[in-house]
Amino acid sequence: MANIVVCYKWVLDEQDIKVNPGNLALDTSRAKSKISDYDRNAIEEAVLLNEKDGHKVTGLTFGVAGAKQSLKDALSRGPAEAVWVNDPVAAEADAFVTANVLAGALKKVGNYDVIICGEGAADTYAQQVGPRLAAVLGIPAITFVNQMSIEGDKVVATRKLGDCTETVTASFPVVVTVLPEINKPRIPSLKQVLGASKKPVTEIKLADLGLNPDDLKRKTTVKSLKGYAMTRKNVIYKDGSTAEKVAKLVAELAKEGAL
Amino acid sequence: MPTFLTEEQELMRQTAREFAKNEVAPVAKQLDETHEFPWAWVKRCAELGFLGIPIPEEYGGVGADALSEALIIEEIAKESGSLALIIDAHTSLGAMPLLFEGTEAQKQKYLVPAAKGEKLMSFGLTEPSAGSDAGGTKSTAVLDGDEWVLNGSKCWITNIGAAETYIVTAKTDPDKGNRGISAFILEKGTPGFEVGKLENKMGLNNSATGELIFKNVRIPKENLLGKLNRGFPLFLKGLDEGRLAISAMAVGMAQGVLDRAVAYSKERVQFGKPICKFQAIAFYLADMATEIELARTLLYRVARMHGAGQNFSKEVAILKYYASEMCVRVCNLGVQIFGGNGYSRDFEVERFYRDAKLLTIGEGTSEVCKIVISGNVLA
Ligand SMILES: Cc1cc2nc3c(=O)[nH]c(=O)nc-3n(C[C@H](O)[C@H](O)[C@H](O)COP(=O)(O)OP(=O)(O)OC[C@H]3O[C@@H](n4cnc5c(N)ncnc54)[C@H](O)[C@@H]3O)c2cc1C
Repeated sequence: MANIVVCYKWVLDEQDIKVNPGNLALDTSRAKSKISDYDRNAIEEAVLLNEKDGHKVTGLTFGVAGAKQSLKDALSRGPAEAVWVNDPVAAEADAFVTANVLAGALKKVGNYDVIICGEGAADTYAQQVGPRLAAVLGIPAITFVNQMSIEGDKVVATRKLGDCTETVTASFPVVVTVLPEINKPRIPSLKQVLGASKKPVTEIKLADLGLNPDDLKRKTTVKSLKGYAMTRKNVIYKDGSTAEKVAKLVAELAKEGAL
Repeated sequence: MPTFLTEEQELMRQTAREFAKNEVAPVAKQLDETHEFPWAWVKRCAELGFLGIPIPEEYGGVGADALSEALIIEEIAKESGSLALIIDAHTSLGAMPLLFEGTEAQKQKYLVPAAKGEKLMSFGLTEPSAGSDAGGTKSTAVLDGDEWVLNGSKCWITNIGAAETYIVTAKTDPDKGNRGISAFILEKGTPGFEVGKLENKMGLNNSATGELIFKNVRIPKENLLGKLNRGFPLFLKGLDEGRLAISAMAVGMAQGVLDRAVAYSKERVQFGKPICKFQAIAFYLADMATEIELARTLLYRVARMHGAGQNFSKEVAILKYYASEMCVRVCNLGVQIFGGNGYSRDFEVERFYRDAKLLTIGEGTSEVCKIVISGNVLA
């Protein structure tokens, strides 16, 4: 039996974010939060592995006070328990900070054999937390995984690369980041939802992780945050043969610097 | 939509929303055309717990409150009125009377499989001569030794054929009007108990509605539900449950139409701009949103009264009357905003428009609700 820890991020639901058409500012005042979609694949994969061979699945999140709401949501999807690192720093954390905090939490919790993350977060999709987490912990990372199994004390995973797939094996402990196509997350039943409140939750304060202040200083800075507006020119090349129309389109795109 | 729900209520609603969006919406239009009973949906509803929401865990249900049930029906009704009605007839009308008045043996035998979603339920009160006036019930039940013998027929009954367990009413004292009616539990397949023809309905095409026929149906004495000649107050209590569910359906369907109308009005261009830029259309949307929000506010309040164990008969009649009429008005505006496309089967608002009209008729017409409301006001 392996100890599987799934990391998930509590993000704003992008469907609720409104873009001001004038200055492209984002209005998040009415946005609800959700478990990042790709992390739902990570949770589902951990739960599937547990159903197949019997492992222990723990959910782990680093979030602000509002992320408390995520715990029952995550637990209703199948993990046996959850760990929440609760700190306002999470609001401003980049992948560097997040990976340091998650690594600190994992060390504190102790037993971990397989750590599963989504390939990227639904909000930033920087695809960095998984590999960085492995680096901080000094363990292997297997990324772009679309199929995985646990065999003894090893993970066997198939990675989907540009033009091929690659099957790799790594001994515990190991970080695995999964692609959305790896599974189709289930909808939790009402009984699972109500059962979630009976599962144990551990709340950890950032101060208890004994991290160095530099570990909590973000490496990136956000200069501005804006929605994007797609403006269409609605140009249709009607005249001439297909070859001529394509040539005109290419010439026009080249002139605008798009090619 | 700040609604001050508990975390559990939010999550249960999320479960229903995901199910409705991912599994109901993609096939709702096609199923409406084939009129078939949506077994695949019903099976999923059983797995997710939607067929036993307010039934306590000890009887195989989820043990959630009335508000949770309203939230779930609301989400499902945004995509399919038929499925919402199937759940309403099964749970509020069928299973709740068993929970209220069933003996322990009846609960174990009939309520547990219903709450788990293994067996669907149906509730038969209406007859050709007994609609708003249940006193006109002509079906009879006569005790013969250890068995009741039922004769007569029912019409307009939801979930016929699909259901395994039926709660039906019959006269046990022909001289006593409403005070001579009792409720019975019938199993599908009992000799003499037939499912008659389906009604040729205007909408709600996926909920099977039609006749039940009793020809010397013999059932054990212990299948009397509740006290002899006390069927009337029992189904009035069940109808209060049903009115809450119907109102949740009304709010959900109206919201479904508003969402579709908003999207359409932003895309449809006439006179050089999207039609939502015309104040006439924008104000329709404002009226729809206002009415829906009012009905929803009352829905959640009445559900909370129910959850707190208060008598909510008057309030639920007010809610049912307002919400059902509101839904019809909103659907009417929805079709108007879609113009000619609103009149087309290819766009879904037409289905909602047809489905919505049941809401002002079933489980107490608007007029009957006003009788209840005025009676309370004048009392
Ligand atoms: C889709 C659908 C599903 C249904 N499912 C079920 C079910 O599962 N189980 C079940 O038992 N029944 C079911 N019904 C029946 C439904 O409950 C009845 O249709 C309803 O109660 C009205 O009865 P009625 O049709 O006989 O109309 P009537 O009672 O004949 O009413 C006709 C009109 O007269 C008005 N009216 C009647 N009496 C008065 C009065 N005293 N004062 C003022 N106005 C009055 C009514 O409001 C209505 O406008 C269903 C109906 C439909 C359409």
